[in-house]
Amino acid sequence: MEKFDVIVIGAGPGGYPAAIRSAQLGASVAIVEKEYAGGTCLNWGCIATKSLIACSDLFAHIKRAQSFGIETGKLSYDYAAMSRRKNDVVSKLRGGVEGLLKANKVTVFKGTASFVDRQHVTVTAADGTQTALETKATIIASGSTSAVPGFLPKNERVMESRAFLELTKLPASLLVLGGGVIGCEFACMAAQLGVKVTVVELLSDILMMVDADVRNELRRHMEAMGIRVLTGKALEKVEATAKEVKGQFGDETLTADMLLVSVGRRPVTAELKLENVGIAVSKAGFIPVDDFGRTTAASIFAIGDVTGIAQLAHAATSQGVTAAENAVNPKKRKMDKLVPACIFTSPEIGSVGLTEQQAKEKGLTVKTGKFGFAHLGKAMAAGETNGFVKWVADASTGQLLGAHAVGLHATELISEATAAVRAELTAEELGRTIHCHPTLSETWMEAAHALLGHCIHAPPARR
Amino acid sequence: MAQPVLMPKMGQSVEECVIVKWRCKDGDKVKKGDILFEIETEKAVLEVESFYEGTLLKVLVSQGQAAHVGATVAFIGQPGEPLPAVTAAAVPAPVAAPAVSAPAASTPVAKPVTVAATPAISVPAPVMAPVPAPATAPSRMFISPRARALVEHSAISATRIKGSGPNGRIVEKDVQGYLDAHNYASLRISPAAKALAIKEKIDVLSVTASGDGGRIMVGDVERSLKERPKAMSKMRQIIAQRLTQSVVTSPHFFVTVEVDMTDLLEYRKELKQKNLQYSVTDFILEAVVLALMESPGVNSSTDGKSAWWHSSVHLGMAASIADGLVVPVIRHAEKLSLKELHDTAADLAARARDGKLMPDEMSGSTFTVSNMGMLNVENFTAIINPGEGAILAVSSTNEKPVVRKGQIVVRSIMKITLSSDHRLIDGAVAARFANTIKTKLEDVELWKSLT
Repeated sequence: MEKFDVIVIGAGPGGYPAAIRSAQLGASVAIVEKEYAGGTCLNWGCIATKSLIACSDLFAHIKRAQSFGIETGKLSYDYAAMSRRKNDVVSKLRGGVEGLLKANKVTVFKGTASFVDRQHVTVTAADGTQTALETKATIIASGSTSAVPGFLPKNERVMESRAFLELTKLPASLLVLGGGVIGCEFACMAAQLGVKVTVVELLSDILMMVDADVRNELRRHMEAMGIRVLTGKALEKVEATAKEVKGQFGDETLTADMLLVSVGRRPVTAELKLENVGIAVSKAGFIPVDDFGRTTAASIFAIGDVTGIAQLAHAATSQGVTAAENAVNPKKRKMDKLVPACIFTSPEIGSVGLTEQQAKEKGLTVKTGKFGFAHLGKAMAAGETNGFVKWVADASTGQLLGAHAVGLHATELISEATAAVRAELTAEELGRTIHCHPTLSETWMEAAHALLGHCIHAPPARR
Repeated sequence: MAQPVLMPKMGQSVEECVIVKWRCKDGDKVKKGDILFEIETEKAVLEVESFYEGTLLKVLVSQGQAAHVGATVAFIGQPGEPLPAVTAAAVPAPVAAPAVSAPAASTPVAKPVTVAATPAISVPAPVMAPVPAPATAPSRMFISPRARALVEHSAISATRIKGSGPNGRIVEKDVQGYLDAHNYASLRISPAAKALAIKEKIDVLSVTASGDGGRIMVGDVERSLKERPKAMSKMRQIIAQRLTQSVVTSPHFFVTVEVDMTDLLEYRKELKQKNLQYSVTDFILEAVVLALMESPGVNSSTDGKSAWWHSSVHLGMAASIADGLVVPVIRHAEKLSLKELHDTAADLAARARDGKLMPDEMSGSTFTVSNMGMLNVENFTAIINPGEGAILAVSSTNEKPVVRKGQIVVRSIMKITLSSDHRLIDGAVAARFANTIKTKLEDVELWKSLT
């Protein structure tokens, strides 16, 4: 029986960094993956979708070329080629991850892992052959999978995000069930490529976890792009025929060529046999962990989507590195809790820390400062004046508690704000920090000035 | 005409109450039945409803102040209505202001009312002595304005700085020396943490850092804030005072017996099938009442000079509530049938949990039962409720191997421990009393006759 210091279950954005970090610390490491290195993020998530969104964004840009004085003639696109390009990007990156694992002498096992006891894991390959492994510590990074509610018909016109990414031809019309991150990203991408999109969200608004000002701005733009956004009611009586999908939203019957189901993601734990190590999952199916990434079973850690802490690749990576260190080093370190979020809609959204609403719910007295790209030279020059950034700060100490951005490169802009929030800077200090001109980043400085009531590039606040 | 809102009478013994919280403010519209304010008596926090509909015109007794029973604390009427003249109703509040410095050690211990002359009086209820507010600032410190500014800007405390000026006055040089001696220049602190420390006057030199590279973060300052002494609720102060008084004045001794609950639990199951719902507590309370009637010496009180017997059993039952405990009292428990005892106990327990007990319902007990049966404890001892002769601590019932007729068998065993005031009760009496309770609980025929 092969023996390892650390076994990592799942080679996604949480698992493979955990394996590499463990190996860096001198541990003998195995990683078990039932599909592809890179997990959902690389193969059917972050990277795959961003490859397609790069295409749709560029297409939307070129459509506006004339306003920049560029003549293009009649525009068209080949979605199959876009899809091939996506596959190229994905396979290149996947090869990179495999190479890194190999270079770090991580043993890769293809198959599904399940616990025998705390020290023993069995890997079952696709052909049924089983390999028994012994380990000192285990890091569960088994991730999540799209939830598809049982009331939906089983039909090739009804699919979740992973199947949608395999398409080589876009439908003429698309019904999106669920206005969360995945639903909104796909809706914007498809709409930019001319698909007639309708988003149906059961809650009162799309992206309910996002700051209200930000989601209002996004919704306005999505609607301006021609996306129908229907909220506050369920999509009922969903039927699918060979020709179309149909659903009832209140009194209205919605029809489309295809239904994309994006109502959330469920943790993958079924095959782990957690009962053999005494780990009980939560009501929602997640594996509970403490601040150090430890499960209730000594020597077993869990990270990423399967813990339900934050379903974001970069959160999983950070947790994976910390869990690896905690699995190998005797001195334990807490997992970082400040996780920025990015949403690749059109326009993009970035956010970190508390929203204004969350801060108020916590009983904090806050001050906010907002600055719009419409007043920014660089944004105007680039022809992208939609959106704004917003600081949320503690009113008494000026501590920056949260930052929210919507607009061009918002997902890049959020990193500066993340560093500021993590370092517990105050609005005053951020406002005094010199920012390059002309850049989009200047908005953070201007918004900090606005929060303090002395914004240079905005008229005095009305009393 | 504007209607006066009066401080309600919350029981025989309560003469004044502290308004701990106003739920409405001047100018708010109120309806009949709306909660106007919360008051804290020696026993509990209670809500006071409005008898009138209208606008809360003026609050006369503000939050944290006390008022005599029957005093006008506010007026309700129509907006703009003139207010009748009243004399100030507020009396100095006996609650301690939140302590800023170390807790005051000078709190005088309340003296119990002497009961010598009239032994018929029930329990010597402790009188709540006003707790003096701890000093909010240390005694006057001699410090120069520049030195003070440096202290404040540095978020440190000046109390440990030795002054080199005239009369020990602290000057800027002293503060600078203190900062250097404590290696202040190398202190790492996040900007927001420092702002918070300055605002809340937290000495950053006393804060333990948790950030990267030993940096003090906001969470660290917040932890120091949470570590500051805070005034306990009036209820906790009363608990502290009464229990200390009991331990200090009455010499406790403890007698533990094991009760075999197997047969009674079997019988309880039978009752359940007949839809007769009795809790184990009900049986214990009843057994205690019966035993007390047989052992009058236990249902007695003493002040160390006199001892007096209580002809009735006013049975206290300790109940844990949020941030404290209360002891609701079942009056004349000896006159109640088991069913009545059950109903009374259930009602008192439910209202205790909801904080709806009146002060009168929590005083005058002659013996108390404290039941931790549901908390999985092997055995514990209780502190005698001041004014009583003894208290019974009831622990959990567990299956145990025991010897019966020379055989090891599994039985459901419950330990009960009697704490007795040795001034009043001797060992033999306590042992007999504890065993009487045991015998009663083990006698199923008795329970058949009572149900």
